[in-house]
Amino acid sequence: MIIDERVAEPAPPPEPALRLRGIRKRYGPIVASDGVDLDVHHGEIHGLLGENGAGKSTLMKILLGLVHRDEGTILLNGEPASITSPQDAAARGIGMVHQHFSLIEALTVWENVILGDTGGIDREAACGQVAEVSVRYGLPIDPLARVESLSAGERQRVELIKCLRRDPSVLILDEPTSVLTQAESSELFTVLRHVVRTERRAVILISHKLAEIAEATDRVTVLRRGRVVFHGVTADTGPRELARQMVGREVSLGAEAAALGILPVGPAADGRAADGRAEVGRAEVGRAEVGRADAPGAGDGAPAAAAPALRLRELTVTVDGVARLTDFSLDVAPGEIVALYGVEGNGQTALGDLLAGLVVPDKGTVEIAGRPVALDRPGALHRAGLGIIPEDRHGHGVVLDMSVAENLVMKSLDGVSGRGFVSRRRMYATARRLAEEFAITAPSLDAPVRSLSGGNQQRLVLARELSAGPSVLVAAQPTHGLDVGAIEDMYRRLRAAAASGVGVLLISTELEEVMALASRIAVISAGRVAGVLPTGEATAERLGMLVGGMAA
Amino acid sequence: MTSHVPAGATSKGRKGNPAGRRALPLPGPGFWWTAAVTVAGVLVALALSSALIAATGGSPADSVAALFQGSVADATAWTSTLLYTAPLLLVAVGTCVAARSGLFNIGQEGQVLIGAMAGAWVGLRLAVTGPALLVCVLVAAMLAGAAWAGLSALMHRYRGVNVVVSTLLMTFIAQQVVAFAVNTPALLQESRIGDGTLAPQSNPLPPSALLGSFGEYPALQVNGGLVLAVAGAVIVAVALSRSRWGFKLTMLGHNPDAARHAGFRTTLLGGGALALSGAFAGLAGAVLLTSPIGVNRLQPGMAMNIGWDGLLVALVARNRPLLAVPVAALFGVLRSGGSFLAATGVPAFLVDVVKALLVLAFVAPPVVVGMVRRRRMARAGAKPVPALEEAIA
Repeated sequence: MIIDERVAEPAPPPEPALRLRGIRKRYGPIVASDGVDLDVHHGEIHGLLGENGAGKSTLMKILLGLVHRDEGTILLNGEPASITSPQDAAARGIGMVHQHFSLIEALTVWENVILGDTGGIDREAACGQVAEVSVRYGLPIDPLARVESLSAGERQRVELIKCLRRDPSVLILDEPTSVLTQAESSELFTVLRHVVRTERRAVILISHKLAEIAEATDRVTVLRRGRVVFHGVTADTGPRELARQMVGREVSLGAEAAALGILPVGPAADGRAADGRAEVGRAEVGRAEVGRADAPGAGDGAPAAAAPALRLRELTVTVDGVARLTDFSLDVAPGEIVALYGVEGNGQTALGDLLAGLVVPDKGTVEIAGRPVALDRPGALHRAGLGIIPEDRHGHGVVLDMSVAENLVMKSLDGVSGRGFVSRRRMYATARRLAEEFAITAPSLDAPVRSLSGGNQQRLVLARELSAGPSVLVAAQPTHGLDVGAIEDMYRRLRAAAASGVGVLLISTELEEVMALASRIAVISAGRVAGVLPTGEATAERLGMLVGGMAA
Repeated sequence: MTSHVPAGATSKGRKGNPAGRRALPLPGPGFWWTAAVTVAGVLVALALSSALIAATGGSPADSVAALFQGSVADATAWTSTLLYTAPLLLVAVGTCVAARSGLFNIGQEGQVLIGAMAGAWVGLRLAVTGPALLVCVLVAAMLAGAAWAGLSALMHRYRGVNVVVSTLLMTFIAQQVVAFAVNTPALLQESRIGDGTLAPQSNPLPPSALLGSFGEYPALQVNGGLVLAVAGAVIVAVALSRSRWGFKLTMLGHNPDAARHAGFRTTLLGGGALALSGAFAGLAGAVLLTSPIGVNRLQPGMAMNIGWDGLLVALVARNRPLLAVPVAALFGVLRSGGSFLAATGVPAFLVDVVKALLVLAFVAPPVVVGMVRRRRMARAGAKPVPALEEAIA
């Protein structure tokens, strides 16, 4: 968490643990990896930074034998290695913890850990090994616990133990903190430092979060469009320099900085005056939004204007016998951006599904612009004026095999059809207007949504939802998997929506995102609202305590 | 921000490419591969068929000649071919409707029988005269077919019974119900004339309940059933690609969650599609009953596997109603030519084998090509999208 904790860069030993030279990989016309050189030394944490699609995953897949390189050499401890399968990679001491865990939920911890081993099964020995690894690295876990009963942080520990038990010389972690609380992230980095300093292993940390790279790594390599564009000692490089290298241009502060994850997350360190300015700017934005929010209400003078755009009251949702939301209450005023912040898996999905009309709560009410909504009626929320960017875009946000035009009008067929038939002229007119207004780049309006990039798909969803003129917009993880440009754009549009009087509920796991956008931050923990803070009073520490379920 | 090209500015040829074609990867490389593999598949199927016929002591050349003579050589042959085409097409069109909504109705054989039974009941028992009786027969058959398929929809809605399983099993119940009806004098069994023995069949339908034909023997005769079937195919094709209902159904089929999220009553929509597909099968049953394809009596064997073959037609036509028209005609050729072929000494089951080989040749290629491409894409990390974007930006 604190940058100064970083141990001074040790003199690199002559032979790096891992040396990549001229790694090249093409997929048809796309060069995913364009002559990448990378040295990772024993005893260092090496950050691999880059936007989505920069080639980080391809490189790691090559290293793990999941993808075959077209050109280039891999040297492990100075010896050329041909890695053609994941088994090869494991045998040569390369271990990876994937972003999405590869654990079997129905099995216990020890069973998951020995999965893939050959030979007889010795439960006692396996449990012993798990306990031994867990003590050695400070990763407390019960070997007999079932994985399904574990939290995301605990599951990651299992993945780590699984890797470390095989005594890897190179350990790769792909976006390891995306499911962790601040406290859990700090713990993880402590373990990693131990692994690196005392056992001289090499660690590759893949991330798109600059703060994290700056905090945890010794050296850093930045990839952009398949090439290494920067490479150096982290301590000598500021986050802004890294941001510039990653995006390929000078970055402004504010939304863009938040998109990159360089807003101050810890106590503001020296030399961070620039980030301090960003904070001021953000506060002003927040105030401005509140000011604007008041304006339409005063103008109307109607009693309904006082009603919140969205009022959730004591919502309880039980899925498969597990309470996902418990007495969940939250208000969003018109023109306000309220963030619901929390670690993944604390009820956000249930809330998103509820607001998407896919789940009916056991009890509780939803009011939109002062009117209660009959939640058991299909489409009632949409008709009442709720727009939603769902967390699982492909799940129900878009229909991938239908065209851009069809996806843009699918929730407002009344507007483009008469007497039972969809007017193609009106459908294309509406679609063309929305595509232009929201800068949706597509091969054509007839192209299936599947052929669009994530950012364009997300803009399409936003365009469709806002075109219905909603009083409230729910954005669940709206920037997941988008590149920096698309994230900035999403932020701008969410702000614009709020400025036009729409109440925005932003459900996010990204601290920087909620700090940058929201005027109030509600923290969700275990299906309840643990607390609500105005952004001005929110700090990473206070939010962190709320996330952990403690009062702040 | 990079320069955005608004979608409208780059769309080309939109008018010539109605959205109903979206399921087919038309101009892409996948299309040509699929076409090439299909041609190869058909050639292999024909080669295998010839080998089989030769192996069973027949002459492949004679067999082809017989197939040709029995199906398309002259007006009479064409008449017979088109008689088979009509019910096949009706079943296939119904299958397209259900498949579009993501449900797989495979119980058409039973729905055909139930439709025919309801038609026979109305035709024999209803005191209506003139062409109105025919209309009553057709409507009754459609309603009965819809109800039979609707039962599966209800089982799915209230008990979560898999639609594929329930429609399939309901076929066997339908066969028993019809067998019972034509074996029970109080129901539909034929009346006793003198002291002859009773066959398990109904009385023949009155002439006013029969579908007429255009054209006189020996010229080509086109039965009214074919007119109904082609009209049905066109109407369904237009409705699926142009109507709100078709839009919703397509959405439901591609992504039920999205359809639910958009506020459609998905249960009603899906159940309705299933019932409609049953209605088409029921109508096929009525056509079998009232056209000169058979003896115009309800008989337990009268469905003649039309329900199963209609499914295959839809399968080969990739669930597109207009494409089902020529495919149904091809299956009609195989049926009428097949019975002629059997007369030349080639075992009748060989015709079924040939048919199965041809179906495989048509159905397998897109699946195989898709599989190969997916595997290649998976190996390549599946990232064609940015390229597409950059290419047009």
